[in-house]
Amino acid sequence: MECDYPASKKNKLTHPMDIDCTVKEEATDAGSTNQHFHWSQWQLLDSILPTGGFAHSYGLEAGMQSRMVNRPEDLGPFVVQVLENTGSLLLPFVYCASKSPDAATWVKLDQLLEATLTNEVSRKASMSQGSALLRVAASVFTEIQTLQDLRQTFLGSKNLSFHHAPIFGLICGLVGFDHETTQRAYMFITMRDVISAATRLNLIGPLAASVLQHQVAADAERMLQKWRDRGVEAATQTAPLLDALQGCHAYMFSRLFCS
Amino acid sequence: MAGLAAAVEAAATGVLRVEKVRGRSAVTRCFAKYPLKLIAPSKVAPASCGAAWIYAITYGGGIVSGDRISCAVTVGDACTAAMTTQSSTKVYKAVDSKCSEQVLEARVGKDALLALIPDPVTCFSTARYHQKQVFHVFTDSNLVIVDWFTSGRYESGEKWKFSFYKSINHIILEDQPLFIDSVLLEESSNCSIADRMQGYNVVAMVVLLGPKLKHIQDQMQDEVKKMMSVQLRPPTSAGGRYTSRPQPLCPQMPPLIASCSPFGRMGTGMVARITAVSTESVYSFLRHHLAALESFLGASPYSAS
Repeated sequence: MECDYPASKKNKLTHPMDIDCTVKEEATDAGSTNQHFHWSQWQLLDSILPTGGFAHSYGLEAGMQSRMVNRPEDLGPFVVQVLENTGSLLLPFVYCASKSPDAATWVKLDQLLEATLTNEVSRKASMSQGSALLRVAASVFTEIQTLQDLRQTFLGSKNLSFHHAPIFGLICGLVGFDHETTQRAYMFITMRDVISAATRLNLIGPLAASVLQHQVAADAERMLQKWRDRGVEAATQTAPLLDALQGCHAYMFSRLFCS
Repeated sequence: MAGLAAAVEAAATGVLRVEKVRGRSAVTRCFAKYPLKLIAPSKVAPASCGAAWIYAITYGGGIVSGDRISCAVTVGDACTAAMTTQSSTKVYKAVDSKCSEQVLEARVGKDALLALIPDPVTCFSTARYHQKQVFHVFTDSNLVIVDWFTSGRYESGEKWKFSFYKSINHIILEDQPLFIDSVLLEESSNCSIADRMQGYNVVAMVVLLGPKLKHIQDQMQDEVKKMMSVQLRPPTSAGGRYTSRPQPLCPQMPPLIASCSPFGRMGTGMVARITAVSTESVYSFLRHHLAALESFLGASPYSAS
């Protein structure tokens, strides 16, 4: 749309009023597309989107039952560790999927992540969240044909595990997020879900949780800038204690969450 | 494939080949140059067993900043080999921020068994260490990988003082990635490694893969589940957010945490992740859970002798 602007100006030099009108109409079109995009963006990041994120604690429940996390003050450092590990391990998959939102890349990323998520608890959580997100996005964004085609092609496929990070990157890429926003969004929903789990585990009250979320945002941004835009061969985990603990999730006799 | 393997062997610090000789696994090639030494004693396993044992030793007992040790290992079809160390691998302090590196590329044949059962890596203060192990396997290959490291010479107070530790383990099943693991611990100004590791001093990973090891996998999964489930319990309301306790040096956290996960489409593999306060407790854990390997290897890994 911006490219057309200088050309139309040249053609309508004899009609200055027309130039103004034309330019204004084009600007409105560009503006309304941008504005429309915001609604999609906010909907994708809203916790009300039924992707089942509320069923996962990202290892927090195991952290509490092993007494690693005991008091509200312990939550901040825990969230930061989860975010660091999300950045180092999963952000490359989000990034690569958003860069090339096509079938071949998606299958490769999904299969690689299946081999990379060696922790069964987080692997199953990723599969359940990924397939839920794909189903919701395909139902919601009916205008994105590529998304519809991809879902149709791979529904019921044995070759795909429907992992969350590549699907998230894929959908954001198709909806029109830029790469930085896509990766920031992934960090955001992780932070949102861990803190939400903390309130339901009675570790912290909802008001204090909101205060914490704002405080941790600076760390989350720092982690984003550190781990963004990497290839999947660089994916690495940075929290071995959390990994060992989260793997114990299924051993807990009484538990609220799936992971 | 053969050309690539030959190229890897040509560039390597150490080359090891185990093949069947008169029905028994024998070391048919054992080459190593400084700073690596490979020793293949014949007396480790009883003669009846038929497994080859190889010790990888570094001159000076450790890896110096800037050293790069690469090893190419081939275990022939139906052969059994165990690779271990004489003592924990020490990684000395970094000089000019140079990283020390160990690389292993192993090919495990059909119905073969490779057990990589070393002592842990101990990185000294400011050390920088990078390790990469790649295993090429077939569907009926068997593999035991123990990969572990400590916080340093922690009895003398050197705890998580190294600068950089990265360990990569890849298992490739007939050109497809089966198990891709990478662990990175790097000192950063925002969160020290010590804070992240919360009083634990040892991180260990045990991988068991292959049809011959199914019973060992199953037993380990059951026992780990039993051991951990009694130590995990929901916080009581007294321990909730209304009590302020002095921050413990983890006296309340379990001294050893372990969890097992199956991997692979057919669940032929299992990985156990362990973190512990003491190295001895992990030796104990490994000795106990890998004891059944004696029937394959002729000697029990990590036996206290």
